[in-house]
Amino acid sequence: MKRVDAIRAVAAKELADRLRNRWVWTVSALLLATTLSLTFLGATPIGVVGAPGPGAVMASLLNLAVYLVPLLALVMGAGVVIDEKRRGVLDLILVSPISSGEYFLGAFLGYALALSIALVTSFVPTGIALAFTTGIDPTEFARLLALVLALGTVFLALSFLISILSRDPARGVASSVLVWVLAVFVFDLAVVGLLVAYPGELPPLVFEGLLLLNPADIFRVLAFTWTGSAAAPLGLTGLTPTIPPAVLTLALVLWMIVPLLLGHRLFQRRLAMDTLI
Amino acid sequence: MTIRLDGVSKRFGTVTAVAPIDLEIGDGEWFGLFGRNGSGKTSLLRMLVGLSRPSSGRVLLDGTEPTAEVWRQVRRGLGFMPERVVMFEDQTGEQTLRYFARLKGVSVTEVGPLLEQVGLSTAAIRQVGTYSKGMLQRLNLAQALLGDPRLLVLDEPLSGLDVQGVKELFELLGTVEGRTVVLSSHRLPVMSRFVDRICVLRAGRIAALGTEEELQRRVGLPARVVVHPVHSAAGANESHGSLSAEIERLNAGTLVSLNGRLVVSVAQSEKLRLLAGLDGLGAAIDSVRVEEPSLEEVLLETS
Repeated sequence: MKRVDAIRAVAAKELADRLRNRWVWTVSALLLATTLSLTFLGATPIGVVGAPGPGAVMASLLNLAVYLVPLLALVMGAGVVIDEKRRGVLDLILVSPISSGEYFLGAFLGYALALSIALVTSFVPTGIALAFTTGIDPTEFARLLALVLALGTVFLALSFLISILSRDPARGVASSVLVWVLAVFVFDLAVVGLLVAYPGELPPLVFEGLLLLNPADIFRVLAFTWTGSAAAPLGLTGLTPTIPPAVLTLALVLWMIVPLLLGHRLFQRRLAMDTLI
Repeated sequence: MTIRLDGVSKRFGTVTAVAPIDLEIGDGEWFGLFGRNGSGKTSLLRMLVGLSRPSSGRVLLDGTEPTAEVWRQVRRGLGFMPERVVMFEDQTGEQTLRYFARLKGVSVTEVGPLLEQVGLSTAAIRQVGTYSKGMLQRLNLAQALLGDPRLLVLDEPLSGLDVQGVKELFELLGTVEGRTVVLSSHRLPVMSRFVDRICVLRAGRIAALGTEEELQRRVGLPARVVVHPVHSAAGANESHGSLSAEIERLNAGTLVSLNGRLVVSVAQSEKLRLLAGLDGLGAAIDSVRVEEPSLEEVLLETS
């Protein structure tokens, strides 16, 4: 059996499971309802009915993505490996001619595909509706969607690492929520706190370095860079860091690869030592 | 495939699950592992299939210590049935087997006949979550049998099976000529009828190893000779009493009277002398039956 066949078999099974248990379609429906209502009803409190304009809509979607997508991805993968181990199925899988790395990668790809389907089926209809009503730039929207997919994949990789570190699925979910709070709320508040505490004293390099430590912030900065219309309504046009997009992209890719490699290393180690549970 | 364990042990922190063990299982041998809960059976089986790394010693397959790549090759011809597994409840039996077939690199066309073999063909399209315990056991066995493995390692495969189920199980296991089978069970009398050798584990150590007969001989448990007296015209009590006295005179073991029968508990070394003596009392005896100690009794004695 070719290694790629084994990876494909695991990925296909994980994807089929997510589709069968309706996780994908539930998340997709919820996201679609949220994106559409945010887009077309989000400005009603200030007396505007309908989509307020491409920039504002893009900014709203960006904000929605940065809060919701990491949470969905983290909770989705929180119990993945540990649950299979507790059920005894992992033993059956690993006595097949498949390595732990192939299983790990296959499971990740299956979950990533499921998450991507949920995101694409919710964001694309919103994008089409926006293209007809606000004249939003389809290229800009496609870039935002690509970034949203990357953000989801990064936090999914983190959830796989958390799953390996957790002793049971419940703890995995709790740890995932904690990571989400840290990444989406606490980290930003801490950075802003530093800026306020040391006004003008913090070298730009330190500020930019801190941003690279949080994938949610990398996503934000890249989104502002790639979708210029989103930055304007938030008043952030002059505040975006000067880190080259290539560096930011590389950082985002590393945020996906490093947790996966680390997760697999720990997975191998705990399997060998019989300490996975 | 031959399996050799050279000083293999397994420790979990300060707890020793398996003390250093030397053991060889021959090609095509059916090998049974017995022992109470916590005796180290599952830990040993997990090391045999490469799921767990020994704390010391080495597992040799066909004389060589397998590398990761060799394990991959070995696993193409390996079937493993764990004791406890919760299959994917929302998949059908057929989908479950198809998944494992793909992982093993086995053609999915094998799935249908295999489901038929284990008696799950009509339940194949039902979700596994609706299966009974016996059906789950058969599905678990079916995944182990995918690809006609040369080496089968089964942890408590008799659990949940009735007498007929056990018979069918062993018929299924025997469909491949020269297949090596290693299995663990608590059901000694059933298991001992099918395996070539038995290893009794106690607290992670080998307490006894050999064929059923060898174990019985080694432990030297007494045999029971049951004598049914002839009922004479003089009366049952009289004939019973005189026969009892004659047997006592043979001085070959401990005699008790039980529901009209005379039961002599006799050492294996004295058994033939007692039978010869009973032959001399032929006219007073209706029948004689020799009951050897069961393997279960051997296990109780050794562990």
